[in-house]
Amino acid sequence: MNKIVPIDAQSGSNSMDAYDIERVREDFPILKQHIYGKSLVFLDSGASAQKPQVVIDAVHECYETYYSNVHRGAHFLSQKCTDVYEQVRGQIATFINAQSENNVIFTSSVTESINLVAQTWGRKFLKKGDEIIVSEVEHHANIVPWQLLQDEIGFDIKVAKIDDQGEFLLDTFKALLSPKTKLVAITDCSNVLGTILPVKEITRLAHEVGAKVLVDGTQGIVHIWVDVQDLDCDFYGFTGHKIYGPTGVGILYGKMDVLKSMPPYQGGGDMIDKVSFSGTTFQEPPYRFEAGTPPIAQVIGLGAAIKYVSDLGMENISAHEQGLLAYANELLSAIEGVQIIGQAKDKAAIISFLIEGTHPFDVAAVLDRQGVATRVGHHCAEPLMDRLGIVGTVRASFGLYNNKDDVDRLVAAIGRAKELLL
Amino acid sequence: MNSITPQYEDYADALEMIDDEDMRFEYIIDMGKKVKDEDFPEALRIDPNLMHGCMSRVWLCDEVRDGKHYFSGFSDAIIVKGLVAMMAGSFSGLTTDELQELTTGHVRRLNLGALTTQRQVGMMAMLETFKKFGLAGGGTIAQLRSGSA
Repeated sequence: MNKIVPIDAQSGSNSMDAYDIERVREDFPILKQHIYGKSLVFLDSGASAQKPQVVIDAVHECYETYYSNVHRGAHFLSQKCTDVYEQVRGQIATFINAQSENNVIFTSSVTESINLVAQTWGRKFLKKGDEIIVSEVEHHANIVPWQLLQDEIGFDIKVAKIDDQGEFLLDTFKALLSPKTKLVAITDCSNVLGTILPVKEITRLAHEVGAKVLVDGTQGIVHIWVDVQDLDCDFYGFTGHKIYGPTGVGILYGKMDVLKSMPPYQGGGDMIDKVSFSGTTFQEPPYRFEAGTPPIAQVIGLGAAIKYVSDLGMENISAHEQGLLAYANELLSAIEGVQIIGQAKDKAAIISFLIEGTHPFDVAAVLDRQGVATRVGHHCAEPLMDRLGIVGTVRASFGLYNNKDDVDRLVAAIGRAKELLL
Repeated sequence: MNSITPQYEDYADALEMIDDEDMRFEYIIDMGKKVKDEDFPEALRIDPNLMHGCMSRVWLCDEVRDGKHYFSGFSDAIIVKGLVAMMAGSFSGLTTDELQELTTGHVRRLNLGALTTQRQVGMMAMLETFKKFGLAGGGTIAQLRSGSA
């Protein structure tokens, strides 16, 4: 399953009424903050999302009442901490519909998840003359790890294209596929344009030529319901802090046969079966890829975040965000001089924009003074900026806690930016 | 160095008198708007004068006359343009030795709390560049970077 729930752009009402946004907002203490004397409008969740009280409490409770190292301690606290920690692995597996909890590897971030695949699977299976495919909308984290490996191995990196609206061009992608293609490393949602990529179809096509597929789910997992078995991807990575969990924890899902074929990533404690100076053997996945003390409290916090999101329901969250997106799109489109960058048909609740005659940094600075937090710049997607012929954008990225008032405040702040800057 | 330059004192006094952060922010925007394209001609907006590491593009030049450094600069963003104008105006007309006496405290006295941390870091980087120009006896940003100034 990889879908967004459409909503009537005009009314935006049914699902938004069913979704009690004001109650949801109560769960996020930071939203009560005032910035420069103005109530906070947080539209930078695409960079890092705010945390509900249950996540803050879970991390706090862990450190306060049962924290200990996991897996090997011969005492009560270690056993309890291990139990809670390992339950999260199962929770994640259920959340993304992985075959089992053993398909779920804890990493420090999605960046590490991708680097793990590059340095283990990539180093073992990619050869000179092979090809891998990325897309024009990738974050640097899904470009640079492959370039670093390319420098050593000498495979080719092909780039799948988008059109001027930010729509993924499936036909041009198909044309890039060949028996030489060994990997397609692609995001399911552009962090700049919000474009939802057809990763299920991309995966099917890639598998037809025998290529593996890695999906960078950093943005997608936050906005759309992900089912890795339905997608049939070989790897799926995402990060904890964008899905309302703590920083310092990421996930790599992998199909078991693929994971078993991969050598360890980092060496250290916990990932070994037996160590001796005559030779060392390693654990089975997922532990083979988890060297050293893991981010224990962060994993437990992520578990609380996944439960929170699951309780709200991804379909409800998606419908709510789609309503906001439609509302914001309608209002921003009506402002003279505002250009929305990225108008794909399937979009997550991310709006990049420019105001004619202004620099995006100036606009974001004025928005900030109005209490509206956005992100500005190339968003770690410089190749996409080059493709679009721009230096950067102002990006408003919505989360499950944003409401129509936030959109209205954004619109008012844009008006103020125009007054001050033009 | 008790007094830096008359222009520095003017800016510091003006910003001190504005007790509202939003107004101070708008003052900087106004400063940026006052900088006209012809104040820093296109011919100077070239790579050798471009500062690296800035979120917007910033060009800086140093002209040395009678042993004193006169700075000018430009940016494609209005706020940064205003800051560059204030920094260049504040610290122009100083000798190499006087430039070396400048500290981050001198920049802080300009009372630019309305700016984000990133921009304040940019201001400090600009100050360091002025001091480097002083030590190098002029030149371009590119020459400072390569050590050939």
